[in-house]
Amino acid sequence: MRAKKLITLMILFSAFSIAQNSEIRIKELYSPNYPIITFRVMIETGSINDPKGKEGLNALTILMLAQGGTKELTYKEVQEKLYPWAARINYQFDKEVSVIIGEVHRDHIEKFYKIFSDLILNPRFDEGDFKRNKDLLLNYIKATIRTGNDEELGKQALVSFIYEGHPYQSPEFGTVQGLNNITLEDVKEFYKRYFTQGNIVFGIAGGYPKSLIQRIKKDFSKLPPGKPEQVELPEPKRINGLEFLLIEKETRSTAISFGFPIPINRSHKDFYALMIANSYFGEHRTFNGILMQKIRGQRGLNYGDYSYIEHFVQDGGSTFPVPNIPRRHQYFSVWIRPVENKNRHFVLRQAIRELEILVKNGLSKEDFESTREFLLNYSKLWVQTLNRRLGYMMDSDWYGIEYFIDKIQKELPKLTVEDVNNAIKKYLNFENIKIVAVTKDANSYMQDLVSNKPSPISYVSPVSQSILDEDKIIQEYKLNAKLENFRIVPVDEIFEK
Amino acid sequence: MIFDIFSFQIKIKTNTQTKFETKMKKSIFLVMMLLLSTFSVAQNKIFPFKINKVVLDNGLTVLSVPFDSPGIIAYYTVVRAGSRNEVEPGKSGFAHFFEHMMFRGTEKYPEQVYNDILKRLGADSNAFTTADWTAYHIVASSDALETIIDIESDRFMNLKYTEEQFKTEAGAILGEYNKSASSPFLALYEKLQDLAFTTHTYKHTTIGFLKDILDMPNQYDYSLKFFDRYYRPENCAIVVVGDFDQNKLIQLVKKYYGNWKRGNYKPEIPVEPPQTEEKVGHIPWKGKTLPYLAIGYHIPEFSTKNVERAAFDLIVELLFSKTAPLYQKLVIEKQWVDFINGDAPDRRDPFLFIIMARIKNESLIDSVKNEIFNAIEELKTKPVSKKRLDEVKSYLKYSFAMSLDNPNSVAYTVGHYFQLTGDPESVNELYALYDKITPQDIMKTAQKYLTPQNRTIVTLTEEKK
Repeated sequence: MRAKKLITLMILFSAFSIAQNSEIRIKELYSPNYPIITFRVMIETGSINDPKGKEGLNALTILMLAQGGTKELTYKEVQEKLYPWAARINYQFDKEVSVIIGEVHRDHIEKFYKIFSDLILNPRFDEGDFKRNKDLLLNYIKATIRTGNDEELGKQALVSFIYEGHPYQSPEFGTVQGLNNITLEDVKEFYKRYFTQGNIVFGIAGGYPKSLIQRIKKDFSKLPPGKPEQVELPEPKRINGLEFLLIEKETRSTAISFGFPIPINRSHKDFYALMIANSYFGEHRTFNGILMQKIRGQRGLNYGDYSYIEHFVQDGGSTFPVPNIPRRHQYFSVWIRPVENKNRHFVLRQAIRELEILVKNGLSKEDFESTREFLLNYSKLWVQTLNRRLGYMMDSDWYGIEYFIDKIQKELPKLTVEDVNNAIKKYLNFENIKIVAVTKDANSYMQDLVSNKPSPISYVSPVSQSILDEDKIIQEYKLNAKLENFRIVPVDEIFEK
Repeated sequence: MIFDIFSFQIKIKTNTQTKFETKMKKSIFLVMMLLLSTFSVAQNKIFPFKINKVVLDNGLTVLSVPFDSPGIIAYYTVVRAGSRNEVEPGKSGFAHFFEHMMFRGTEKYPEQVYNDILKRLGADSNAFTTADWTAYHIVASSDALETIIDIESDRFMNLKYTEEQFKTEAGAILGEYNKSASSPFLALYEKLQDLAFTTHTYKHTTIGFLKDILDMPNQYDYSLKFFDRYYRPENCAIVVVGDFDQNKLIQLVKKYYGNWKRGNYKPEIPVEPPQTEEKVGHIPWKGKTLPYLAIGYHIPEFSTKNVERAAFDLIVELLFSKTAPLYQKLVIEKQWVDFINGDAPDRRDPFLFIIMARIKNESLIDSVKNEIFNAIEELKTKPVSKKRLDEVKSYLKYSFAMSLDNPNSVAYTVGHYFQLTGDPESVNELYALYDKITPQDIMKTAQKYLTPQNRTIVTLTEEKK
């Protein structure tokens, strides 16, 4: 009944086409009455394309387009045009792809499209913009995450640590030395090489005039034809035991992240089994996960504890994953939000012990069923706006799968608890892990970990005997932490080169 | 990655969750295809949807907005209490702490049962606390409406937690403080508000003073008092937006919330006396940092009648939008700062117009400060052009219109204006008032409020060893 109502109320059209005489791929999500129009221009180029010694070149190039001028208009003039419409131009850059996102009310679509497309097709590459955008990236490293966000610093450092010697090692925002080495000429060269017709997907959603599609095809066919060769990805290096990177910083608490590569992504059927295991263990920003219930819920040791089976970036103030950060290689990770320094040893023991329990025991049938039901419903909420849905559709094409949200609906009901538990055994482990902690007195943390000395914790109020009994086991839990597997790095050296 | 330089938010989110036996229909997929055919910027009322308002006998307000999100609803419970209500000394941060306690269960639905119900629903559920209000919000299947009303009404009427649960949760609050403490923004807001206010509870931030957070485990009795005072029907509203049946909604709300007893507590929030001289503070930051500058000017409370207050929403744009001459000069031309913004948050009592900047070099702090003061002087002495003012008004309208693209943001908007004035229609009055503001109004407002004796300045730089 409801579906019928929808069909009569709206004509929704989604199409994917390759233009004639043009290699540009266009992803359409047409909804005639929807007044906000979104463009998502995805370039299949990311930090893996940064030349050695110029880490950050992809990011800076994207910034020079999204936060720069056109041949006709300076950056200031662009801002002046967009402002009365409250039109937005945003951007994302990741390891493998980058996106420039435009949003405008349909009252201004024609004028906005001209500016938006000019930013990509006829960029200004102004020296002043170059300096400003480079500073923005440098200050992101030096001030925003090194100074002001221990959690983000830990998470980003973990990715580089996991992928040492792999094209994913270099952070998507670059390094201090890499950025300092980049010239405006480098940006122009990079742009010429990677902004080609075959390397771009133009996504569009909303109630746009249909004639716009032809215009996009025509305009973007001015880019050089072809598609640059994709960077080969070797297998990530094997992790031997527990490997530690401790970031020494004057801070009142300890932020911990740990993880390891997994050889599957959304295009693999086991991904969906692992999705259930992960949701049970640590669904992002919910109380569902074991980690959250045990570390925060029962013990109040921090604000939150979550796990992931793919690179995860939260979309603004929501709890949902941002689209358009697809990666061929993914990793499993656990995010322990800052804990008091005196509890840092205990909490790491607890989290790894919980991972061991997960790997050894898997899920019960009941947990499997309730988690599956959760995901079947929850995943539908990820696409509440056309903008987000378009992003997910583009990602699905990138992975070569049907629309991801539909695929979840198809794959999850097919699974059994055995499938999930087999996937856990196949892809997760508790012995070979890379661990990053942003902390004070890193040396004493290292000594504590290596010595495996008991790490009891105390409570301000009596807690139940079952928790105290479990604490006795956790505080003695042996971590295979060997002195030779530690690196202690001052915070100022992180992402320096 | 996405840049979020302004990583400290005043609004504090609690991580809480999740619920139950009804299943979302397949049509939920189609929720993104909103049909906002009434959605037009060129209309009399900026808020394009009809707001139904029903007040129950016990004083509970029910606000509902039909919205074309097939199969989905957003459900907000709005409590008109926030850190502003923390009037007793030593109790800062309590409204937020209490928000956490609301997830600790009742006799009928203990914590784990509540969570299991939300988990099975696959609902997106959370809560946040601000200076003036606390909101508990759920986005879920329309089919779940009765379940949601059942579990939400139950915890608002019958919350029950042990002292042990209370103390454990205090640890999570400290954890929340810790996660924000690495950001200079928390330190800046703490210092700025502490200096600018002598008497009013806006002296502390929503998360509260660290010393009070550390003492929270000892405040069990006060927590019961807080619930008794503010979690009462006449102080709350239910906001429902999306795909629902209005008659059924009202019938269910009456059934489940009907027995909620009215309260009678009237908080006496101390009134802040006028500031008479400039205040200055400094934060030495341990570890490396770029320098930060924060400036706050006292301004009037939110109002849909007071032109001066509304003028500040335009002044924010005139000074700090990307097209503002000051922004252009500092960020684009001279490149002295990599971040600058102004904000005049809607507050129930007089709060601050706050300017924040991150400066690229310590030697430039005074120059940046002077440029800001020069731009303010210009605002006082030179009428802004009508064209520029019209652009700002256009920006505010389109920006607002574009934000209303899903049931959750519509429900947030309704909740926000309800908590401010008791009437969500005040959003329409506010935008109508913007239309009337003249260049002279801007000048007069700037002359009256943007004075040295009315301001507080805080800087943050690396500690000198």
